[in-house]
Amino acid sequence: MPLAAGLKVLIVDDQYSVRQVTRMALEEIGIRHIHESENGKAGFEVASVQPLDLIISDFNMPEMDGLEFLKAVRGSPAVRRVPFILLTGRGDRELVVKAAQAGVNNYLIKPFTSAVLRQKIEQVIGKIS
Amino acid sequence: MSRMDALKKTFFEESAEQLESLETSLTDLREGGSSDDTINAVFRAVHSVKGGAGIFGFERLVGFAHVFESVLDQVRHGSLLATPDVIDVLFVASDVLADLVESTRSEVELPADYDDDCRRALQQLMGKSTGDAASGENVESAAPADFDGFDFTPVSVDISDTPDDNLAEQTYTIAFRPKPAMLTGAKDPLALLRELRGFGTLDITADAGALPHLSEFAPDQAYLAWHGTLRTSSTRQDIERIFESIRGDCEFEITELGLPPPLAELDTASASNVATLDRPALVDAAPVAVNTVTAQDAGADETADPAKETRAGGMSKPSTTSIRVDLDRIDRVVNMVGELVIAQAMLSQIIQTLPEETNNQLWKTLDEVTHHTRELKNSVMAMRAQPVKSVFQRMTRLVREVSAKTGKKVHLEMVGENTEVDKTIIEQLSDPLVHIIRNSIDHGIESPAERLTRGKSETGTVRLSADQRGGRIVIEVRDDGAGINSERVLKKAREKGLIDPNATLSEDEINNLIFLPGFSTAEALSDISGRGVGMDVVRRNIQDLGGRITLKSTAGQGMTIQFALPLTLAVMDGMIIRVGNETFVMPISAIVECLRPSRSDVCNLVGTRGTLQLRGDIVPLVYLGDLLQVQATVKVASDGVVIIIEASDGTRLGLVIDELCGHQQVVIKSIEENYHSVLGIAAATILGNGRVAFILDIEKLPELAREEANRSDADRHTGAQSVAA
Repeated sequence: MPLAAGLKVLIVDDQYSVRQVTRMALEEIGIRHIHESENGKAGFEVASVQPLDLIISDFNMPEMDGLEFLKAVRGSPAVRRVPFILLTGRGDRELVVKAAQAGVNNYLIKPFTSAVLRQKIEQVIGKIS
Repeated sequence: MSRMDALKKTFFEESAEQLESLETSLTDLREGGSSDDTINAVFRAVHSVKGGAGIFGFERLVGFAHVFESVLDQVRHGSLLATPDVIDVLFVASDVLADLVESTRSEVELPADYDDDCRRALQQLMGKSTGDAASGENVESAAPADFDGFDFTPVSVDISDTPDDNLAEQTYTIAFRPKPAMLTGAKDPLALLRELRGFGTLDITADAGALPHLSEFAPDQAYLAWHGTLRTSSTRQDIERIFESIRGDCEFEITELGLPPPLAELDTASASNVATLDRPALVDAAPVAVNTVTAQDAGADETADPAKETRAGGMSKPSTTSIRVDLDRIDRVVNMVGELVIAQAMLSQIIQTLPEETNNQLWKTLDEVTHHTRELKNSVMAMRAQPVKSVFQRMTRLVREVSAKTGKKVHLEMVGENTEVDKTIIEQLSDPLVHIIRNSIDHGIESPAERLTRGKSETGTVRLSADQRGGRIVIEVRDDGAGINSERVLKKAREKGLIDPNATLSEDEINNLIFLPGFSTAEALSDISGRGVGMDVVRRNIQDLGGRITLKSTAGQGMTIQFALPLTLAVMDGMIIRVGNETFVMPISAIVECLRPSRSDVCNLVGTRGTLQLRGDIVPLVYLGDLLQVQATVKVASDGVVIIIEASDGTRLGLVIDELCGHQQVVIKSIEENYHSVLGIAAATILGNGRVAFILDIEKLPELAREEANRSDADRHTGAQSVAA
C-alpha cells in the first residue's frame, strides 16, 4: 500500500492556476513531493531526471501536448512505466480514447474534488494510506 | 483571501492574458497570417480559458468555450476555412468569451440568452465545415458530452515493483573510449552518454588515466573514457545504434551480463586514478576534464567534487524564465527603496555638516551607496514595468472597427511597442488612446475620395508610437488627416461661451481649446466619438497619471497628440517651496512658469487678492499661505515668488509663495492610507532633512481658492454689518 507522503507526482499544465488547484488537491490527500511543468517537453525533462510515481498531465499545451508527452513517456525505457493520468475537460471523450490507445492509465475530468482525485489515483496505484 | 480565492484571481489574470493573445492572433489571422502557429495560438488561448474555467467549475464559461474551441479545432484541421466571414464570427465569439469571463469574475450574471446568438453562429459554422458527413456529430459535440456510460477501465500499476525487478531487463557492460580527435569533429561524447542514460539505469565511471599534465592539455582533444554497466530492457541493437554515427571516432564494446552486479561491486570500480561520476550524463564535458586534471595534479584519487554534482543537479532541472509575483509584494519593495532614497538624502545632509577631513571618505562611500540605490530603484521599477504592446495591440481592432463604420481606409502603424511603462500607467492608458484614435479617424482622416482630391493616398495612416525620452515615456498618436479646423473650433468655443468673444488667440491656443470641458466639434453627434467623453476627460486622465498632454495640428496635413508620462507613480519630480515655516512640494508637471512679479504687474481688483498681468493675460493671484492657513512671511505678491499653475480644466492660478527651495525627486507617500484625504493635499513625502512635506493637489487648489474667497467675502460682509450696527 503506497504511502501518500512517499509519492512523487508531476503535474503538467500550461496554466499556473490549474497546476496550483491540482497541487492543492494532491496536498489534501497528503502528497508532499510535487513537481510542476508547463508543457510536455519540460515535463519529459523532469521525468527523465526525477524519480516519479505518477504523472498528471493536461492535454492542450504549447511545445508538446499531453498526448505527445504520453507517447514520449511510454516510448522511453527509463520512464515508460510511470503511471499517467490525463487531465481533461467534459466533452473530451475522443481524446481519452486516443490517450487510452497510447497507454494512459486513467483520466480525470475538471472540475474535480480531492476525493475524486484520490479515487482516480487509487484506481491506478492502489489504496493510498 | 483563501487559497482558492487567490487561485481564482490568478485564473482571471491568466484569462485576461489569454484573451489578449486571442485578440492579437485573430487580428493576425485576419491580416492574412493564417499560419498554423497563429491558428494554434487562437485555439490554445480558448482552450486554456476553458481548462482553467473547468478546474474551478465555471460551467457557463466552459460550455461556451467548448463550442468556440470545437469550431477552432475544425479551422485548425483545415475542415473549415478561415474566410473573413468565419473570422468575423470568431471575433464576436472572442468578445462574448471576454464578457463571460468578466461576468464570472465580477459575479454579475449575464442574461441567460446572452451567448445564444453567438453559439448559434458558431454551430452554423460547424455545419458548414467541409467534413459534412461529420457535421451532425459535430453539432452534437457542441455541448460538452458527458462521460456517462463511457467505457474505460483504469490501468492499474504496482508502483512498488521497481524497474530492477523487471524480468525483461538486461545488464550490459559498456566500454566507451573516444579517439582523441573525436571532439574536433563536433561530436560530443556527453550527448551520447545522455542518450545511453535514456535507455535505463546507467552506472559508469570515467577513466581519466589518459589525461596529460595541464601544460600539455589540448582543449580540443578527448582524453576521457568511460566504462560501466547499463541496466535496460532495450536490445543490444538499440544500444549499438546510437554509436553508429561515431563508429570511426571511438572504440566501444558492449557485452551482455546475465544479472545486474551488486552495487558494492560498482563501488570498488572507483579505484585509483579514476573519477567517479554518478551522473556523468549531466556534467559538462569541459568542467569534468578540468576537474579531473586538478585531482590528478594534486596526486589525489578524489571522487568528483560534490559541488560539481550539485551544479549538475541544478542544471538538469528545466528552468522557468518567469514567475508570478503579487503586485503588493513588488510595491512593498518599491516602498522600501523609497525609504532608502530618503535615508540616503538624510545621510548626505548630515555629511555636509561634518568637517572636511572626515567627510571626504564618507562622501565616497555615500556616492557608492547612491549608485547602488539608483540601480536598485531602476530594477524595482523594471519589475513593475510592462511593454505598452498590450495596450497598443488593442487599438488594431478599434481602428478596424471605426474605419469600417466610417467607410474610411485607415492603416495603423505601431512603433516602439516594446517600450516599458509602469503597470498602473499602462492600465490607464487604454481609455485615452481609444478616445484619441476614434477622434483621429472620425474627425481627422478624410474619406478616400476626399483624400484623393487632396492629392493624398487613399488610405490614411494613424501612427502610434512610444519611446523613452529622459525620465519620461512619450506616447504619440499622429494622423495624416485634415488636422484641426481652427475656424470651426473658434466658432464653437465662442458659441458655447467658453472664451471671451473678443479674445485674440494664436493658432495653438485655438487648437488647445478642444481640451476644454464641454467641447465637441462634431456637427452631428456620431456614435463613434461623441460618447459624452470629451478631450477634457482625456487630459484629466493623463494628468492624473502625472503626465502632460500636448497637441500639434497642421491644417490639411494632420495632427499629433503627445502624452509625456512619468516612468513610475511612486517617485515624482517635485519643486520644493516654502511658505512661512512650512515646506511644500509642487508637482513639476503642473507648473507653467515661476516668476518674481514687479509691483506694476500686480493690480488689485475689487473682491480679489490681486491679479497678475502676464503678457496680456490676467491671472488671478492666490496666497498659498491663506489657502492652507499657514502664516506666510510675504504679504505682497511682488515681494515673493509667483508660480503659475494650470489645472486640467485649464484654470490658471498664480500662487504666491515665499521662496523656491529647489527641484528634487520625491517619494510619494499616501496620507489617505494613514489619515484621511485632505482638500488641497495630494500626498506627503519625506525630505532629506527628515521632515515631512505635503505634496499639493493642483487639481483641488482652484476649488480651495474659491472657498477661501467666499470665506473672506463672508468675513468682510459680517465685518461691514458689525460696523453698521
